[in-house]
Amino acid sequence: MNKIWILFKREYKAAVKTKGFIITLIIVPIMMGGSFVVMMLTDDNQDIDDKHIVVMDYSGEVNELLTEASQERNETGIFNQETGEQVEPKYILEFVEPDLENPFEQQLELSDRIRSKELIAFVEVGKNVMAPGPDTEEDFIKYYSEHSFMDNMRYWFSDVIGNYSRQKRIEALNLDPELTKGLFDWVNIEGMGLVDVDKKTGEQQAAEKSNEFQSFIVPYIFVMLMFMMTMMSAAPLLTSVMEEKNEKIAEVLLGTITPFEFMMGKVFGGLGVSLTTAAVYIAGGVMIASNAGYASLISTNLLIWFFVYVIFFVIMVGSGMAALGSTCNDNKDAQSLQFPAMLPIILPLFVIVPIIQNPTGSLATTLSFIPPFTPTIMMVRMATPVSIPIWQPVLGLALVILFTVFTVWLGARIFRTAILIQGQKPSFNNLIKYAFKG
Amino acid sequence: MNIIELRNITKTFGSVVAVNDLSLVVPKGSIYGFIGPNGSGKTTTIRMIMKIFFADSGTIHIDGNNHTDQRLSNIGYLPEERGLYKKMKVKDVLMFHGELNGGTNLPEKINKWLAHFDLAEYANKKVETLSKGMKQKLQFIATILNDPEIIILDEPFGGLDPVNAELLKDAILDMQKRGATIIFSTHDMNMAEKMCDQIFMIYKGKKVLDGTLQSIQNKFGSDTIMLQTELGPEALEGIDGIERINNYGKQQEIKLSPDADTQKILTQVMKKTSVSKFEITKPSLNDIFIRIAAPERKEGRS
Repeated sequence: MNKIWILFKREYKAAVKTKGFIITLIIVPIMMGGSFVVMMLTDDNQDIDDKHIVVMDYSGEVNELLTEASQERNETGIFNQETGEQVEPKYILEFVEPDLENPFEQQLELSDRIRSKELIAFVEVGKNVMAPGPDTEEDFIKYYSEHSFMDNMRYWFSDVIGNYSRQKRIEALNLDPELTKGLFDWVNIEGMGLVDVDKKTGEQQAAEKSNEFQSFIVPYIFVMLMFMMTMMSAAPLLTSVMEEKNEKIAEVLLGTITPFEFMMGKVFGGLGVSLTTAAVYIAGGVMIASNAGYASLISTNLLIWFFVYVIFFVIMVGSGMAALGSTCNDNKDAQSLQFPAMLPIILPLFVIVPIIQNPTGSLATTLSFIPPFTPTIMMVRMATPVSIPIWQPVLGLALVILFTVFTVWLGARIFRTAILIQGQKPSFNNLIKYAFKG
Repeated sequence: MNIIELRNITKTFGSVVAVNDLSLVVPKGSIYGFIGPNGSGKTTTIRMIMKIFFADSGTIHIDGNNHTDQRLSNIGYLPEERGLYKKMKVKDVLMFHGELNGGTNLPEKINKWLAHFDLAEYANKKVETLSKGMKQKLQFIATILNDPEIIILDEPFGGLDPVNAELLKDAILDMQKRGATIIFSTHDMNMAEKMCDQIFMIYKGKKVLDGTLQSIQNKFGSDTIMLQTELGPEALEGIDGIERINNYGKQQEIKLSPDADTQKILTQVMKKTSVSKFEITKPSLNDIFIRIAAPERKEGRS
């Protein structure tokens, strides 16, 4: 154990006392959180360039309406009410008579104007848009643009024309306007958490509004942390062991330490790096969450589970990586093994969204009991606001511990044989031979 | 008293028998030389003593203890291939290896040995900045830092200039004086002849020689002439009774055939050139090595 400790110290210092580690510590979260930062920045820096849109009104009833509505919007509706600063773009509408003889040619001409960035979109308003009915062929509003699915301005046309058409239909009923005032007002539903009672103090805890931070960002952060912890420490063991084998450092050390001590010293060194990084990020994250008023979302229990799972995940993946590294002779061998070896780390990333959406569903539950995926998937499930039965993370941990013991045993058997063998390819057959025949 | 005993050791790699039924005893306090051609099984034998490899059959006793999976801290091992963490500082490398071997008073020992091998000024330099010879000396210091009782050196002199080889040789002899047992493998027969109390030769996995230099030479008898002439090897052309000539340039080592007449050879040579040395002697270790490892070769025969 003492020799593992000495090797651990060397590995840990070699990794942590480098500029690369400090830079990685700063850059990785920036990259991971980059999309959030960009979203936040773009929220504050809205596109306020004028949007030129052509309208073709087959109904003959909306030109005036849209002209007035756009004028009103451009004069009053696009400014921050407190600062007076423009925060949304002006809609500059151009009305074009529909070509009933050759509509495709007209659409093509307008499409080309959009492609040449002269326009942002063109809108076709159907003939029966004011009186939608069973014949849907004539009561459409079509919004044409290069990115129509993502253009929020299409809703503005829908709202303006829809509200006007509704107004016209009410008027046709000859009802008292006072009676119909507010007829279509509605209240949006608010998503709330659950109420609770503090077990220690007995204090009643009111439900809190659920939000995207609680529902998505917290689980996402835990997944990314788990991913980073293994990528920073366990994954590099593959190339690091290969280099030590090729540079004959392994043989020098094996005169003094056993292959198992060698492998575990390296794995624990990586684990130390992971825990240091995790501690830095978690401490920073908790501080930021506290300042933002979200401290209650990151419970101590959750953090304990996270660290326990990280420890076993890094040992599990690290021993596998070290064993595979011991079978490699050059970078080509290492590259061919790197991707399959990293699947337990990468695969959970593909299912984050469905698991966050339904953390108690069968997909989430099943995957969280498959040991290579358990640490990541179980953490996602526990980090969502939905409570999962305590036996599930406990059972998941038990399975992870068993699988980690198996991985270390298997890795050590491969490692002890392969670390001194030169010139043999790390084929599946060879791995089996090293593991079971020596 | 024997400090290392190998009994009937066999090690195979697939279908290749690397070491075949090898038995060996190394007396405590001796310098024991391992010689043999490349690929003959020297390094495999050393690795088995070091427990890096485990024998398929046979037993190895070190200092009376049976071989187990535990590493022994009283053995210093310098492998044939040098391997040091190149990004570490020189003193940190030594501290690391010293700690792994359970050493005490390490800073003091490190300073002493770095000074001894003229490396003191490099103590805070990274290993990657050192020359090959310096790295070799550094690796040697890491091997002997904890004053081990057994020192196993695989090709310790390879790549060293004569000055550094002398430093290393003196350090090895000092270790022996202190009571350490030294095993070293080498291709330098001259060094083996001069330094080793006992010499062991392995060929194709089997022991072919084992004993003192004198006992080994006695087995081969006085069938060698060391000759120095003005004409060189050409003076030996057409002379009967010569089985093989080892030409060292200024001097030739002649292996005589069993029926050779040394007086006749001397007379014939003197007819051709002036002779400054004609010594009937036992074969050198180098010649014995060649006789075993390459019996079909007739080096230097002109």
